Amino acid sequence: MIDIFNAWVAMIPATLAQSLILSFVVMAVMLPFRILSFPDLTSEGSYPLGGCVCAMTLVAGAPPLVALLAAAAAGFLAGCLTAFIHLRFRIHTLLAGILITTMLYSINLRIMGKANTPLFQETKIFGWLADVGLTDSWVKIVLVGAMILLLALALNLWFLTEHGTAMRAVGANAEMAEAQGINVWGVTIGGVGLAGACAAFGGGLMAQSQSFADVNMGLGVLINALAALMIGEGLIGRKTIQRQIAAVVVGAVVYYQLISVCLAVGLPPGDLKIATGVFVLIMLAAPSLGLKRAGAQPKECFKE
Amino acid sequence: MLEISNARKTFFKGMPDEKVALDGLSLKLNRGDFVVVIGSNGAGKSTMMNAISGALLVDSGRIVINGDDVTTMPVHARARHVARVFQDPMKGTAASMTIAENMLLADLRQNPARLRRGLTPQRREKYREHLSYLGLGLENRFDTQVSLLSGGQRQSLSLVMAVSGEPDVLLLDEHTAALDPRTADLVLNATLRAVNALKLTTMMVTHNMAHAVEYGNRVIMLDSGKVLLELSGEEKARATVRDLIGHFSVKTDRMVLGV
Repeated sequence: MIDIFNAWVAMIPATLAQSLILSFVVMAVMLPFRILSFPDLTSEGSYPLGGCVCAMTLVAGAPPLVALLAAAAAGFLAGCLTAFIHLRFRIHTLLAGILITTMLYSINLRIMGKANTPLFQETKIFGWLADVGLTDSWVKIVLVGAMILLLALALNLWFLTEHGTAMRAVGANAEMAEAQGINVWGVTIGGVGLAGACAAFGGGLMAQSQSFADVNMGLGVLINALAALMIGEGLIGRKTIQRQIAAVVVGAVVYYQLISVCLAVGLPPGDLKIATGVFVLIMLAAPSLGLKRAGAQPKECFKE
Repeated sequence: MLEISNARKTFFKGMPDEKVALDGLSLKLNRGDFVVVIGSNGAGKSTMMNAISGALLVDSGRIVINGDDVTTMPVHARARHVARVFQDPMKGTAASMTIAENMLLADLRQNPARLRRGLTPQRREKYREHLSYLGLGLENRFDTQVSLLSGGQRQSLSLVMAVSGEPDVLLLDEHTAALDPRTADLVLNATLRAVNALKLTTMMVTHNMAHAVEYGNRVIMLDSGKVLLELSGEEKARATVRDLIGHFSVKTDRMVLGV
């Protein structure tokens, strides 16, 4: 028992850093799904896209922050594309996301020219705090933590503005939003694009964190992010926009610690998918089992 | 204020079930007109409302509101001119947002969204006052989610949202048909008070002939996508429910004879 506990504690810095990077992807899942009622799978493709673009920009000699911004820009385009083909060709949002994700795989390969790009020589963003005297993991925690905090605060403020309220209206009732003069196409494309940018930013951070980018780095990231979101919403709720945003970060952190505990217990990595599935199932089944939090919505479910 | 000239709209063009919904419809509303629109199902009332709001674009013809040619404008671009209350109370409000946030959205119709704080204290005060005219106590449930309101309350909120900002044209699409009689009365009275107080140019679709007789300064009857009958002024004032229903039967006979 003590061994398990120690093994878990030893992994905390590494897993915490990972989870903060993942929280960008969780944000990318939450924004379209919860705010725009646009369930979207593009993150599975825009995350590795971010990694690949970031890697190639770094290899080309750009500073690490520029590489991250380039990654975010690429992800933004991917998200916009998904939203556009949904709106223009009336393709279901999930299908549109799968199409773009599939195509992005080839594009990612084209961008890198090979399946894997090592980044051991390049300066990474974590170099900023190299002289502070923290361990590698803690540098990542501090830096990425600050970034996700900044994003969460910015989004919080955004949703208090007129534009932010308009964006929420599109998700709440698109027909009504349109009748109030809101450009539903513009908001949807911009919002899903923003989500793509978040996912790609996360991919870029991951590439810099693990010192390589791989075309397969997105495999399963979406279900991890979804699991994290469900856990976060189960714990924090989503009654207000502040809670909804906080649920993203809390969910990411808690989810990774749960996975870490599974590893500490000695679960082989191959079984983690089952664990993830069980976590999601528990969070989704909780309301109908009478385990719902006071004030939680009774009929919570993953629609569509 | 609103001028529709020679509007045409055909559904399923070239197919066996082709349907001409608007057949060269022309109509002119002056500022402050309150027009009641009647007509049997399929007469083109909804198509006309959709054509005015932009939910449907006409195949040909012109629609001008307050001097602006809006014929090809999408819904959101026309929203500055047109406000609409639907029959379905769920359609006019955002259920997962609060009453205050919904009021803010209505405000954005006249003043397009900018990157500044939405619900300022001044705005909250203004919205509270607007809501208090209804006398439903909605102003005290300002931060309640709209999904928790009853159908009548939601429809009343839709109405306040529609008349706020004094749109050039107010479209009422059988907006009391889905409510119980007492609530329908309440919403209708609130409508009349707002329309009179703000002198709104209004178009109200109804199947209630008593309402058609009692309210508005003009009544038009649509049939097969055209204006079949128009009464205004003295004629309108003298019209009875029986007169209006009589015109429906003309159509029914024609249908029977297959003309």
